[in-house]
Amino acid sequence: MSATQFYPLKVVGIDKPIKHATTITFEVPSQLEEAFQFYPGQYLNIKFRVKGKEARRCYSLNSCPYTDQLLQVTVKRVKGGLVSNYVNDQLKVGDTLDVMVPDGRFYASVDKEEYKTYFLFAAGSGITPIFSILQSVLTVTTYSSVYLFYGNKNQNTIIFKEKLDELEKQYPQRLKVVHTLSEPKVWTVWKQWKGRKGRIDPKDVEWFISNHPPTAQDAQYFICGPGSMNLSIRKALIGMDVPEERIHIEQFGGAVEALSGDINAVDAEVSVNLFGQPHELFVPKGQTILEVLKEAKADPPYSCESGVCGSCMAKVVKGKAEMKACMALDDDEVAEGMILTCQALPTEAKVEVIFE
Amino acid sequence: MPILPVHAYTSQEWFDKEQRVIFGNTWQFAGLIEDIQEPGDYITVQCGNQNIMVLKGRDQRLRAFHNLCRHRGTQLLRAVGKKQKAITCPYHDWTYNLKGELVSVPEKETEFPDLELDKICLHKASVDVWRGMIWVHPRPDAPSIVKWFEGCEEHLGPHDPTRLVEYPDSTYEKVIHANWKIIIENYIDVYHLAHLHSNTLQMYDHAKAQYGFVGDHYVFWEPLAEKYLNNLDKLIPFKRIAEMTDEYIGAYVPWLFPSLGLSETESTWTIFQVIPLAPDKTKVIVRAKLEPMTNWEYYTQSTKSMASWHGIMGGKTKYGNTDPDDPMASGDFMAEDVFACEQQQKSLKNPLFSVVATAKHQESTVRSFQKVVKRWMEQE
Repeated sequence: MSATQFYPLKVVGIDKPIKHATTITFEVPSQLEEAFQFYPGQYLNIKFRVKGKEARRCYSLNSCPYTDQLLQVTVKRVKGGLVSNYVNDQLKVGDTLDVMVPDGRFYASVDKEEYKTYFLFAAGSGITPIFSILQSVLTVTTYSSVYLFYGNKNQNTIIFKEKLDELEKQYPQRLKVVHTLSEPKVWTVWKQWKGRKGRIDPKDVEWFISNHPPTAQDAQYFICGPGSMNLSIRKALIGMDVPEERIHIEQFGGAVEALSGDINAVDAEVSVNLFGQPHELFVPKGQTILEVLKEAKADPPYSCESGVCGSCMAKVVKGKAEMKACMALDDDEVAEGMILTCQALPTEAKVEVIFE
Repeated sequence: MPILPVHAYTSQEWFDKEQRVIFGNTWQFAGLIEDIQEPGDYITVQCGNQNIMVLKGRDQRLRAFHNLCRHRGTQLLRAVGKKQKAITCPYHDWTYNLKGELVSVPEKETEFPDLELDKICLHKASVDVWRGMIWVHPRPDAPSIVKWFEGCEEHLGPHDPTRLVEYPDSTYEKVIHANWKIIIENYIDVYHLAHLHSNTLQMYDHAKAQYGFVGDHYVFWEPLAEKYLNNLDKLIPFKRIAEMTDEYIGAYVPWLFPSLGLSETESTWTIFQVIPLAPDKTKVIVRAKLEPMTNWEYYTQSTKSMASWHGIMGGKTKYGNTDPDDPMASGDFMAEDVFACEQQQKSLKNPLFSVVATAKHQESTVRSFQKVVKRWMEQE
């Protein structure tokens, strides 16, 4: 199984959890069942053909790998978005999409005997990997508990609200969901909103943790939302002495912060070890390593091409390259030489890079 | 029943080994979760030869460290405290943050020029919360607490201790002149319930007791005596515990190895902690929690209970003599037990001491407990 291969999967369900989002349910043929196993929190890299062009996007799996037989992702409509509008308006049951096996370093490894407290933070469609983690913890583990802080715009945009309500009833001692709405609707079919208002700001993080002190002392924190929210929640948690290694972040949408300073890019001879396959490339000044790999039809792994998803990650073993933007790697990884090739501009004339 | 030799209850050598091999290597009760409220608050616990501090961090998580300065071993914190921002050693003011990291050493530049502060942290211990209680283990790689207590939960009461309220008047601390194992053997002895406590624990039906061992832990349940059950509204001393429906009603009295007993009844939830001080001296701490109730509910119920008790349940004291100091005339089952334990300890000194036989079923618990201790002691 190649790390960059796409497999055609049939769409067997198209549902609308809220007005402007669509849940795609995929069927996995039995010979691919093992390859498509995943940890809750991981994503699918999916190839779409929209308006005659190929477009790749990563969507987190919201299905539970331990209890759901079918794979599910949920795509929220983005204004002007090429793929999200296609999914919400045109994708039909019976269509086939090319999908890579699940990937991603944002995931929870749950164990039946574990005793942990999970603090989950999600905003909008960021609920998708979080929902997979939440279901996995409740169904697989006997003793772990979950606290979810979930931010949305208004009552009508809460993806999976009904399922969350049901789970809270089913697991009253182990699941607590706190909703917050930034712009709750006043005139609505439902009762007036009596819950929290606003977004998830640092003082809200402090309130959330202080009001739900963990029982199991092995606490893990998972955050998924727009980049700015992720960073501010992470900062608030670290400010409360939460050990960094317990915080896990996945970025969804939001503007990517460009790294400061100019990069002194140079023409470079780049040796690439692409999962065992050698490629010798000439990367002209200003072009990224991924761009050149694509032009050479080497079939490198990639998806968002914005430094967010992490699919194009590789390691620099000789020479240097710098990234235009970097959301998917943390400081330790960058220090080790990891690099996002879609953002990487060589800054030395001879560079060696390995994809493994 | 020579499973444990006499010197297991009398020798300093055996005692010291127990402190190392059992108390230094198992989960110990440290307190109730409400004992540490705010970040910066802490308590300390003695586990065998090691004193351990448990502090609440700013992230509301508990962290446990050995109460030992990394400099020259001075004890850092005393007993309990509130709102520490940092931990400063009284001897030379070396300071650690609430994560245990060394952050300040006075005159470092001149006196410790090569010391790398960020590589020095307090020795970590393990801490976790189970059944509304804080538990501590001296090793940072302790086995999971749910694994340690695996299988026990289903034999414990339906109570949610975190919901119950501590009743400060019931807190009891006493140093008993007996080995800690004598005290536990008394706690788990089923045979004596109908005899030593014939007039003080007759509200439970000992003949129907169900008991056994789950791993190293002892579990026990007995139903209410018919007379008590049929007159429960009048006789129950405090407000009935909400989770204690007719389906579950009874007394759940386990012993969690090595040093914590619980007594979970229809109206009370009590911890009974045993702290060995010497081969023939043990401190016992008892704390009880009750169903939340108003002062009015408390007074009316306890008055009703006291007024009706002996009329319906009969009995008062084991022996009806008039000597006020005789524990057998105290009407207090704990005093009866303390007496029995201290007498047993004294008897161990008599070279004629021996055990002729033990009750097949109702003292099997004592034999099993001794086997557990023996097994732990043989690990070294």
